[in-house]
Amino acid sequence: MEIFLQQIVNGLAIGSIYALVAIGYTMVYGVMKLINFAHGDLVALAAYVGLTVLMQAFGMHITNLWAIILMFVITALFISLFGVVLERLAYRPLRKAPRLSAVVSALGASLAIENGIMLIWGPNIKVFPSNVFPNMRWHISGVVINSTQIAILLLSVILMLALYIFINKTKIGTAIRATAIDQDAAKLMGINVNGIIIAIFALGSFLGSIGGLFIGIYYRELYFQMGWIYGLNAFIAAIIGGIGNIPGAMLGGMLLGIFNVLIAGYVSNGWSEALTFVLLIIILIIKPTGILGERVAEKV
Amino acid sequence: MKLKNLLWVVVSLVFVFVSSSAFAAGVIKIGVQAPITGSFANEGQGIDNAVKMLVAQQNAKGGLLGKKLEVVTCDDEGTAIGGAICARKLVNDGVVAVIGTYSSTPAESAEPIYARAGVLQTSDATADSLTKRGYWTFFRNSCPNSAEATFTADFLVKDKHFKRIVVLSDYSSYATNLADATIAALKKIGGNVIYYGKIQASSQNFTPILTKIKSMNPDVIYFSGYYTDGGLIRAQEVSLGMKAAFVGGDSNDNPEFFKLAGKASNGVYMINVPRPDILPYPLAKDFLRDYQARYHMMPPSIWTLFNADGLRAIMYAIEKTKTTDTKKLAAFLHNLKDFPGITGPITFTKDGERAGSRFMAYEIYNNNQYKVVYKED
Repeated sequence: MEIFLQQIVNGLAIGSIYALVAIGYTMVYGVMKLINFAHGDLVALAAYVGLTVLMQAFGMHITNLWAIILMFVITALFISLFGVVLERLAYRPLRKAPRLSAVVSALGASLAIENGIMLIWGPNIKVFPSNVFPNMRWHISGVVINSTQIAILLLSVILMLALYIFINKTKIGTAIRATAIDQDAAKLMGINVNGIIIAIFALGSFLGSIGGLFIGIYYRELYFQMGWIYGLNAFIAAIIGGIGNIPGAMLGGMLLGIFNVLIAGYVSNGWSEALTFVLLIIILIIKPTGILGERVAEKV
Repeated sequence: MKLKNLLWVVVSLVFVFVSSSAFAAGVIKIGVQAPITGSFANEGQGIDNAVKMLVAQQNAKGGLLGKKLEVVTCDDEGTAIGGAICARKLVNDGVVAVIGTYSSTPAESAEPIYARAGVLQTSDATADSLTKRGYWTFFRNSCPNSAEATFTADFLVKDKHFKRIVVLSDYSSYATNLADATIAALKKIGGNVIYYGKIQASSQNFTPILTKIKSMNPDVIYFSGYYTDGGLIRAQEVSLGMKAAFVGGDSNDNPEFFKLAGKASNGVYMINVPRPDILPYPLAKDFLRDYQARYHMMPPSIWTLFNADGLRAIMYAIEKTKTTDTKKLAAFLHNLKDFPGITGPITFTKDGERAGSRFMAYEIYNNNQYKVVYKED
């Protein structure tokens, strides 16, 4: 039982990172019907930018807490802006083009960012300092939980709740939902669709950047191809939850995290990635719209 | 015009003929095949530097058999093709022996060419296959990959007396081979392997498998993969509150491991060939002092010193047998026993393998310092 609970704790930490990243995929897909393959690499870029900011901040004779706050704020701003620029350069010129062109453009952007990271920071791994969050551990009846895991879980839940409220209770949120349902009708209602698309890229990149920083703080090892692996997992999480559906992405992320650790812990570590895809196939067969997905995105 | 061209050819041919025959009588040529450029460039330059230094020292003492030694260097760029090209070039240059190369691939492609031409070759390359082809000209001056497995098993069972051993590997052929060989060696001496698991390299999340291992109460976790994963495995092991010791194979021995593991580095054991500066032999101290005085830097790694030992053994053979006939030199080297070396006593077996293990086990203690805790000699 201890082992099982420990595995659930392990799974929730990684699951909330998947969830944060998955939201970026799902928001862009919901509004533009575009799979933004560059999203994972933005997450990796966030981790690298965060590390650079943190190292500078540590050298500035301010307290660690301020350095960490600075890291989160600057990285989140920079990556949100980067997401908006990416949309302007790689996707907007192709908005009227066939959907395949945009997907190819997304793949190109992904490779460009990945190799850009390699050119700027080098091909060798980079390591986050180990004292970002105070190093505390609690033993609760055999289960070990550390401060980083709690911080990740708490912050992720807070951010996701805030996003949920923003989408469902505010005017811009309503406009985003309207654009997702029918862009042309939204335009006729006086909604600035371009503005909405900029907003979702900024929001998705913002949450992704927090996910990237969590990866850096929790696992502490950065390598330039890491965006691909985290991106793929988060993408699967988005599909499991129902792509285009924001609570679905959150649920999918958590489920995938827990599924991964249970397979690794009880079946075989090597099979955990393969079985992730088996799970994806099963869900697509039984419920093609994902767990919480309702409407089929295809329009005639 | 035609006549003039012909004249040039004749003149240059005569010059080549005269120069090679005139000087060849007075020198013994030693070849260096090493990656002077490419991704192993610093290793290759280290080998070249070491050979040039030892040759200069020998020449200062009057050379060998009354002749001066001369170094001919060829850059193999660390590639198979480069290795074969260098081998032909050095053979044509008339070298007696070739020192190097650094890595297994170019050593392997050069091997048959040296064997056919009867030129001695001594390399630090670690692929087991190098001494398995029956070439009488090849001498390994380090030790093969398979020696690490035997050494690790001895360390875990005979020295540390671990009773419950967990072996972890990734899916790369290097790490899997090392883990399989280590498990085989452990079983041979009665080691108790309670679990053998594999991790996805760079998946970063190792807590699921470690949680599972925790429930088995192991004494030690041996990891045969790379430092990029090893450092994280150690960090996550400690953060799960596990008490098992951690032993890393040679690919874990990298400064990045300590950054990744952080405070958890303390108490880690590493299995590797030693770093030059912690070699316990007096010859090593002399070599490092001379090398630093001449080049104002440390040799890039232990592999430079292995090759230096290869050259020293060959020079010793020439001195003792009083000939440069490579058949006689090879016969002498195949029977060489406990010749004092920079990297420990040098003994060659019949197939050109350096006998004994050069591996050592270190314990890492505060601020990532190394302490030799076990070696075989």
